[in-house]
Amino acid sequence: MRTAERPRWRGLAAAGVVHGAALAVLGAFAWILGDLLVAGLGQVDWAFLTAPPQDAGRAGGVGPILASTGILLAICLVVAVPLGLGAAIFLAEFTPAEGRLGRLVRRSLDVLAGVPSIVFGLFGNVLFCKTLGLGFSLLSGGLTLACMALPLIIRTAEASLRAVPPGLRQSAVALGMSRTSVVRHLLLPAAAPGLLAGFVLGVGRALAETAALIFTSGYVDRLPESILDSGRALSVHIYDLSMNVPGGDHRAAASALVLVVALLAINGASALAMGRFGRRLGAR
Amino acid sequence: MRWRAALALAVLAGLGAQAGCSRSEKTRIVLTGSSTIAPLMTEIGRRYEAKHPDVRVDVQSGGSSRGVADARQGQADVGMVSRALKPDEADLTGTPIARDGIALIVHRDNPVQALSRAQVVGIYTGQIKRWSAVGGADRDIVVVNKAEGRSTLELFLSHFQLKNEQIAAQVVIGDNEQGIKTVAGNPDAVGYVSIGTAEYDAGRGVPIRLLPLEGVEATHANVQAGRFPLSRVLLLVTKGEPSGPARQLIEFARSAEVRDLVEQQSFVPLAP
Repeated sequence: MRTAERPRWRGLAAAGVVHGAALAVLGAFAWILGDLLVAGLGQVDWAFLTAPPQDAGRAGGVGPILASTGILLAICLVVAVPLGLGAAIFLAEFTPAEGRLGRLVRRSLDVLAGVPSIVFGLFGNVLFCKTLGLGFSLLSGGLTLACMALPLIIRTAEASLRAVPPGLRQSAVALGMSRTSVVRHLLLPAAAPGLLAGFVLGVGRALAETAALIFTSGYVDRLPESILDSGRALSVHIYDLSMNVPGGDHRAAASALVLVVALLAINGASALAMGRFGRRLGAR
Repeated sequence: MRWRAALALAVLAGLGAQAGCSRSEKTRIVLTGSSTIAPLMTEIGRRYEAKHPDVRVDVQSGGSSRGVADARQGQADVGMVSRALKPDEADLTGTPIARDGIALIVHRDNPVQALSRAQVVGIYTGQIKRWSAVGGADRDIVVVNKAEGRSTLELFLSHFQLKNEQIAAQVVIGDNEQGIKTVAGNPDAVGYVSIGTAEYDAGRGVPIRLLPLEGVEATHANVQAGRFPLSRVLLLVTKGEPSGPARQLIEFARSAEVRDLVEQQSFVPLAP
């Protein structure tokens, strides 16, 4: 009797802990979003999204800042996605999992992924702004972001490529497919959901970045005319409004709301794309 | 399929190259340094650009030490420094554009009305640990200090003749607003921040109180009249004498044309 009771009690407790953890995560998200909605929603309108900031950000909008953020993100992705995908294919397909080179590269990537962003910021400032002479510019900032996002993209992409069942590869080899066509026609489509997840993580890290950008893409809140102009990212703007400008809190909340909605939109769009892709694969 | 991808890449590369090469031919003045001055110079720069459409004023942040270093090494045309220049910075020329005072702040609910010089030194060196020792509640004092490299810290230390190693702080903060938020959120905290910022926030209901210093109330008016003992100049520094576009911008930043901007950003204009 007793032996039958105990697992039941344990099972219930475990279920409680698991449900509680899930609810806590949901609660934290709802709290953050609710807080931002209450503090920021009243100020976000078309004018706020398009107008330039005034009075150190306490009036006006975030138009030029949104443009700079978008350009930074685009530069980061244009550089990081092809490089990241290439490195991941190398790691997953062209080196043995336990080989010395593969282990070394993987270890370095894991260390890089854990490096605090301010270190990337100082590194970017020295390498891109000073040594390469790009100055405070969107290009310096975007390249710094790419350095930060790369380890994340490579590691998730490698994991999803490795997760493709070995049977698929073996059948392809048996059919006489070349290595490149195996990668192109078989592995990349099969690993697409994982690749997309890594991409979304990279975008998230890039959009949320403050410390790496303040010394690379800079503080200038004017609409950039080229990628060699300095431009303020949305997260830098939020930081400045809440920590440096007296009376900037309400505008900081409104800008933070815009940032969160942008992140949600990107997440939603990739989930949608993933669903589409899954269906297309299934139909094949 | 492959051709289309190649074409798309080529177009992207072309756009990138074009954007890269078309960096505007306008005169560019780069300023870096004090985060206290950066919002003010951003606004002054905006007005200057409106008057001189051929000039770009790029304002970057990072702290006074960075302003000094960048002006020296030529990374910036003009450095922003929110304190007087030191003897070993004689290679730089500093031009004042505004004044600012630094006041001690406590939470609004703290009953302590004033602290003497000895009490402030005692609190910041950790010899006085309880508010009850200076006429407050029987609670621990939470000392808020500024981070290394901040000119507010250097001013505070030199006024009270302290060294940073002597200070026993519980919280170390960066920018002014962070200091105000830390004190507003902790009834036992004491900190020191720019008077303009503190007055602005206190006037909008943030629960902080400015303490008088050596019997002088911490107000904008007292800083302007030169009565407040702990005040500083906001400087624009250049390597050697300012020249060319930088000189014109510095003269504009000192002129009566931007007086309203100086006051809007809670600083004290130079000329009364």
